[in-house]
Amino acid sequence: MSPASPGTDQIDTLLWLGFIAGAIVIVAVNGAMIYALRRYRGARGAEVGPEQAGRLTQLRVGAVLTAFAAAIFVVSVIYTGKARETPVTGAAGLASARTEPLQIQATGQQWLWRYDYPNSAFSYYRLVVPVDTTVELDLVSTDVIHTWDVPELAGKRGAVPGKTNHVVFRADEEGVYKGQSATFSGQAYAAMRTEVEVVSPQAYEDFLKSQKADIQAAQDRVVELIEGGEEP
Amino acid sequence: MSASRPEIVADGFPRRRPRWMEIATSADHKDVGRTMIVASLGFLFIALIELLLMRLQLAIPENTFLTPVTFNRLLSLYGGTAIFLFAIPLALGLFYYVAPLQAGARGTALPRLGQIGLWLYIAGATVLYSGFLFTPSEAGVNPLAPLSELAFLPDNGVDAWAAANGLVTLGFVLIAINLVATLHRLRAPGMAWRRLPVFAWAAAICSWLLLVIGPVMLAAITMLLIDRNFDGIFFADGSGGAPLLWEHLSWIFFTGSYMLILVTALAAIAEIVPVFARKPLQGRGVVVGSLVAIAVIGTLAWLQNMLTAPIGIGWMYYAMLMSLALIVPFGLILFNLIATMIGGALHVRSPLLFSIGAISAISIGLASEISHSMVAVAWRLQDTTDSTAATHFTLIGGAVFGGFAALHYWFPKMTGRTMGETMARISFWTIALGTLLAFVPLFLAGGEHGEVVDAYKFFSGTGVSTLNLIASIGAFVLAIGIVLTLVNAILSRTAGARAGHDQWGGDSLEWLTLSPPEPHNFDVLPDVRSDRPMRDIRDAIAHRTSRAEPATPETQPVA
Repeated sequence: MSPASPGTDQIDTLLWLGFIAGAIVIVAVNGAMIYALRRYRGARGAEVGPEQAGRLTQLRVGAVLTAFAAAIFVVSVIYTGKARETPVTGAAGLASARTEPLQIQATGQQWLWRYDYPNSAFSYYRLVVPVDTTVELDLVSTDVIHTWDVPELAGKRGAVPGKTNHVVFRADEEGVYKGQSATFSGQAYAAMRTEVEVVSPQAYEDFLKSQKADIQAAQDRVVELIEGGEEP
Repeated sequence: MSASRPEIVADGFPRRRPRWMEIATSADHKDVGRTMIVASLGFLFIALIELLLMRLQLAIPENTFLTPVTFNRLLSLYGGTAIFLFAIPLALGLFYYVAPLQAGARGTALPRLGQIGLWLYIAGATVLYSGFLFTPSEAGVNPLAPLSELAFLPDNGVDAWAAANGLVTLGFVLIAINLVATLHRLRAPGMAWRRLPVFAWAAAICSWLLLVIGPVMLAAITMLLIDRNFDGIFFADGSGGAPLLWEHLSWIFFTGSYMLILVTALAAIAEIVPVFARKPLQGRGVVVGSLVAIAVIGTLAWLQNMLTAPIGIGWMYYAMLMSLALIVPFGLILFNLIATMIGGALHVRSPLLFSIGAISAISIGLASEISHSMVAVAWRLQDTTDSTAATHFTLIGGAVFGGFAALHYWFPKMTGRTMGETMARISFWTIALGTLLAFVPLFLAGGEHGEVVDAYKFFSGTGVSTLNLIASIGAFVLAIGIVLTLVNAILSRTAGARAGHDQWGGDSLEWLTLSPPEPHNFDVLPDVRSDRPMRDIRDAIAHRTSRAEPATPETQPVA
């Protein structure tokens, strides 16, 4: 997976740290057990004396484990904070880069995503955003719980009916990024996919205009048909 | 007591009714426990078939072997069967059989309650599977509202799911009440809490846990049924309801159940390892304290499942703190278990073999759960097949490896015969290979390629085709391994080698009884003087026989 938004860099780094922490645990537990099996399998001496580890050893092991857990906690909080901040401030963390994000509403519905742009144009399935611009998606749902998940651009977030959730990302490169809904939502859940097309700011403006014009044309056509006494 | 009362001798009376009817109407904790264990293993088999059908569908991209509706029904049944009908009842059945024996009780405090619990469980299972006669639930493993509401799934499958698991959960709670009452009130003289075996401790811990989380699930299910049938609004948005309410309540139950399964498995392993290492358990008090900590802290980590939901970042950090805090008790238990092996004289019989497998699988599952608790990583990994793999490693480690370790260990006590060792070994290695093949590829598919969970198909060109094919093959290997143990258990019940009353040289009181135990468990209640009462009894017998008194083989030894 190649991260295409500053926030996902942080997620990627933290993912690797989590993987390393997990690997340490797996190697330590299984290594110690394999050692015990090889060394003491069928060992002589029916009843081994109770050479019990004392209270001090237990405390030491507990302290090491607590330090391990605390380290993971602190590192996770730091990187989670960064993952939330960098799409807004930019990777360099410059306060001057903080501008109002482009707000787009993403509506989950069985089994399609609808995107509403600021100029009241809308699109289904494919979201078009300008490159190098901070985008804030307001996630809502009209029916059941859905999860918006385009892993290359941002962490996933749930769209829960009656609530608004937020995803912030800023695409570094133009291109098409694929995503899929990640919460079981009924019959056609597996087919509920989405796409984010990152284009130049100019192409984004053109898209909005043409999309709005198309929608207007379609609506005019319907009005025309109804006025002409026909079923649209 | 000068005028002695007539003594009633129950031995040797002819059975008045056929055996199955005796068992079905018995309130004896051993009959109830054994029936629960047998039923739960039966549902393990059914869950396997459902898993295999789903894996067949997911063997190749865009497969049309199953329709989406069939897949979703299998998925919903699989979740309910694996958790409610297999993993929890297996744990409870083992507790119900073994814990009163370990505590030195002649029976349970409220035997009828446990009997009702068993039959509520059977009734619930019947309701869930009678759904085949009309329409099984399509709402998924955890039927998240509002998808489970009437507006989205108008047929009665979700009602059947809710009613079934409501009955089953109520049954669990009743059994837990009886276990709590028994372990608090009926321990043998001298069996102080500090001397109670770890597995009996786990029975008390898990029963208390069920008394907390069981009613939460019952409340959630009741609200769901009211929503669906009586125009309720508990989980409907707007008008005062909240879809997230279902998530909170159900995740409290499911997270608690996850901990229950792990506590059961680790406690069983803590019984088995010292016996087969010929060495007392290291850090007994620390292990028991850690089991309590897992039950409490683990359940408080329910929000770990909701890290992508619209909740405040502070709550997410709280969830992460609780999940990561679990590293300490889990680490301490694994440390003490492995330290018990080191320096011992390891006899690698099937119970120890399955225990080792359990520790290994649980370590892999929990290690990957570390990543799932890190908030930002959860935004990547949650709801991908990576979480499927992590959950399955932990629960197969706990319920299958751990459950089978306990089964092999206590089978001689329950039936008077041992399970076939060769078949146990073949089964163990097949399950181990199958688990790795089936779930390691899912780690990669979810973590690297973001394959989503619970989907009835995946698309070609997303890089997960090979991984899914391997996982499907692995699921078949896993199923063969599990079936081998089930067959081994069925065959050994009548054809296994005869077992002694103290088959493994255990230190706890269940080994004082006959195999299988008499209805009243103990002829003479022992006077417990240490946390290894059976060793004291063996020493006393050795002392007595050294004075050349003839031993009577077919009666229980008397200390």
